[in-house]
Amino acid sequence: MARVAFIAHCILNQNAKVEGGAARPGMWEPVLDLLREHGYVIRQMPCPELAFGGARRFWGVREQFDTPLYRRHCRRLAKLVASVMTQHVSAGDDVVLIGVDSSPTMGVDFSPSAPSWGGKPDIGEDDSTLVRGDGIFVEELKAECRERGLPFPRSTGIRHWFPAYDPDEERRRVEALLTGET
Amino acid sequence: MTLDPRSRCVAVVADSLLEALLPELQSRGFGAIQLPPAELEPDVAAAWLEQVAEHVAEFIRNDYEVVLADDGAYRAELAKALTALDVPQLAQYAIQPPSTSRLTPET
Repeated sequence: MARVAFIAHCILNQNAKVEGGAARPGMWEPVLDLLREHGYVIRQMPCPELAFGGARRFWGVREQFDTPLYRRHCRRLAKLVASVMTQHVSAGDDVVLIGVDSSPTMGVDFSPSAPSWGGKPDIGEDDSTLVRGDGIFVEELKAECRERGLPFPRSTGIRHWFPAYDPDEERRRVEALLTGET
Repeated sequence: MTLDPRSRCVAVVADSLLEALLPELQSRGFGAIQLPPAELEPDVAAAWLEQVAEHVAEFIRNDYEVVLADDGAYRAELAKALTALDVPQLAQYAIQPPSTSRLTPET
């Protein structure tokens, strides 16, 4: 039985982040180091935002991304991820998923919300809030898994853009995920 | 314009090479796009490579450096997917030679 981690694209490729959102030159090492320590095989998921909005997209919140067309785009990518996930689940592998909890797309437990954002790309003071709930892609992946009768893997999201980000809390939370304590 | 520490360097990496290359890519500041695992159904692999090519096209369109560290498994299919988007074939990633300290015999 292998241990397999489906991870958000930007954990392995910070260049996919929205401009201003990368925290490292290339990769988010804290998660990759933990995956290595615990013997996990990496499966990088696509970045729906990069493919849809481009490398120069504006920051966005959940309400802006939640359109039928964007959901179709996410579902197209979710089908690919679910196909690979199916193989691992069929093989009896231990599968987890790590998203990004400040993302309107890849959020697992939290995603950003701002009901009034739109129009001129100048939000002034950032008044978005992090609300409970999945990002759009994660919702579509869950729906795809349900349709296939595939159990959704236990999951968490990295929170390095939370105002009160605590690296130790994140390490404990991700380790608990990887060791099956959650 | 880059507003953060991103390297603007991306390596498209074969699944079979990713684990071994990860420390080197990290130390050189590369981000990585992982190619699909070898055992996928052909239609799933083709669709996966299509989205990889879309990512690559977007990076190249924005003047990022994108290189390829492949094992030959999907070479033709990736080339086809890139060509479909008018993206030039990628230069090979130059794997760094081992540190000379590792070549020094123990005394």
